[in-house]
Amino acid sequence: MAVHRGRGIAAIEYPTGMNQNGDPSQAWIKVKPDGRIDVFSGTADIGNGAKTIQSQIVADTIGVPYEWVTFDNSNTDSSPVCTGTFASRATFVAGKAVLKAAREVQRKLLDVAAQEMEISPEDLEIEDGRVSVKGLPDEGMDVGEVAGAAVYGHGILVTGTGAQLNPYAAFTDPGTGEVDSPPHAAISYAGCVAEVEVDDVTGEVRVTKLTQSYDVGRAINPSLVEGQIQGGAIMGLGLGVLETSYPYYPSVEHRGSGFGSYYAPSPLDMPDLETIIIENPSEDGPYGAKGIGEMANNSQPAAIATAVYDAIGVWITELPITPEAVLKALDKKAAGEDQPRRDGKMVIFDEDLSVNTVGAGLQWTA
Amino acid sequence: MRIEVNGAGHNVTSPPLASLLTVLREEMDVTSVKAGCESGGCGACTVLIDGQPRRSCLTPVVTAVGSEVTTVEGLGTPDSPSAIQQSFIHHYAMQCGFCTPGLVVAATAYVNGGGSDDLDSVAEAISGHVCRCTGYNKILEAVAAAVKSSEFDLSSTAVDKNTVVIKTGGAV
Repeated sequence: MAVHRGRGIAAIEYPTGMNQNGDPSQAWIKVKPDGRIDVFSGTADIGNGAKTIQSQIVADTIGVPYEWVTFDNSNTDSSPVCTGTFASRATFVAGKAVLKAAREVQRKLLDVAAQEMEISPEDLEIEDGRVSVKGLPDEGMDVGEVAGAAVYGHGILVTGTGAQLNPYAAFTDPGTGEVDSPPHAAISYAGCVAEVEVDDVTGEVRVTKLTQSYDVGRAINPSLVEGQIQGGAIMGLGLGVLETSYPYYPSVEHRGSGFGSYYAPSPLDMPDLETIIIENPSEDGPYGAKGIGEMANNSQPAAIATAVYDAIGVWITELPITPEAVLKALDKKAAGEDQPRRDGKMVIFDEDLSVNTVGAGLQWTA
Repeated sequence: MRIEVNGAGHNVTSPPLASLLTVLREEMDVTSVKAGCESGGCGACTVLIDGQPRRSCLTPVVTAVGSEVTTVEGLGTPDSPSAIQQSFIHHYAMQCGFCTPGLVVAATAYVNGGGSDDLDSVAEAISGHVCRCTGYNKILEAVAAAVKSSEFDLSSTAVDKNTVVIKTGGAV
């Protein structure tokens, strides 16, 4: 009768977006007469920060303060097509669309500024809302003046469009869905170390610490990346030890109908969290970013299961690892009927796949 | 029957045993108060009644007569957020936002009631709230920070002290 401590590790690899399947996202941007930027994108923000991230990409690419950008995804009439917010694609795929649109806007602003200043656009740059001559930061004009000149002097609307479409794969075997090309998105890698305490009398598994590292390509907004990782960690903890919607799947009988019978993690289930964000930029993610969404809640259940084995010497091969499952497994062990370990998949880091992308498109470093 | 919400009076037309949640949302358009589980389990409908956090879904509106009801609309405005609202923004203590109004209200009662900045104590205070997105950590950090300070930088967001960023070469 004791509490046993254990530690376990799991690793995963993860692609981004709808590989091999087109997966379009589009955006358009217009500039107001005062230089403020309106972005129209179809990406829904479900709390992942899509509006914030895409506004940051637009502001940095054009060279204006973040506060100048208004992001409108309010309806499907005014916004271009976006496949959606899922598959960890809002930054990686939709971010490319706004990045391309922003580049076009910057080029047009520079063209207008060049005419105003009677200089070649190649000799100009935009930074922090000001167009200036390269090497001569005092020579220039504000983006607001340029935008006003475009509207009232040149009679043009400064606008830009951007679209991302990945190649469609050729199926070599329609029966299995096997395709002839590697993934269209840089692969992200992640690892999780779980530390647990297992009570061999009650069967309760308590996760005490999750140490996680994620290759996110580039953390465009570190606080939001951290939010994805921490939120995913606790969701993974729930999948590992607490949550099951259909204990007798596919029967809907005994389905949890409220928070008294369906156990979502509470603040009291919080383990210590240690997060390592690895920036291993991909060649064509916006500013090198990869997706960090779905992958954030995949490694914890497996890491917890290996930690439980480390603690009490039994393999639990079905989730969640409830007190009932632990006690049954201990009984089997006592009777000499150990549950065998289920073979996992080995994750091997591939330097090339981690940064290169087969999909056509965009070299953010250019 | 008349109730006071965020400093303004309202004549209730619903029956006395209608939930305060229904009256706030359907009669008064106070939609920050969320109808989550509507059975007292999720905390999304939490409001302050005379400064104490209460589940409005389990509160018959008649019991709020003569009391002061406060929701997040009564705590601060977008131009002038309260210290706890500022701390939630600075610590990015929200994602989809559905649980956030209830948590801000509960955190306000905790901080105003002299709660400590000990994270275990904060977790206990907000343990009646379910959040699906954040993993709670940033919420705990935000409430603990609001115990110690009343001013936060809203132009930047904080990264946890237990987070490190490692840069590799990649495709650069």
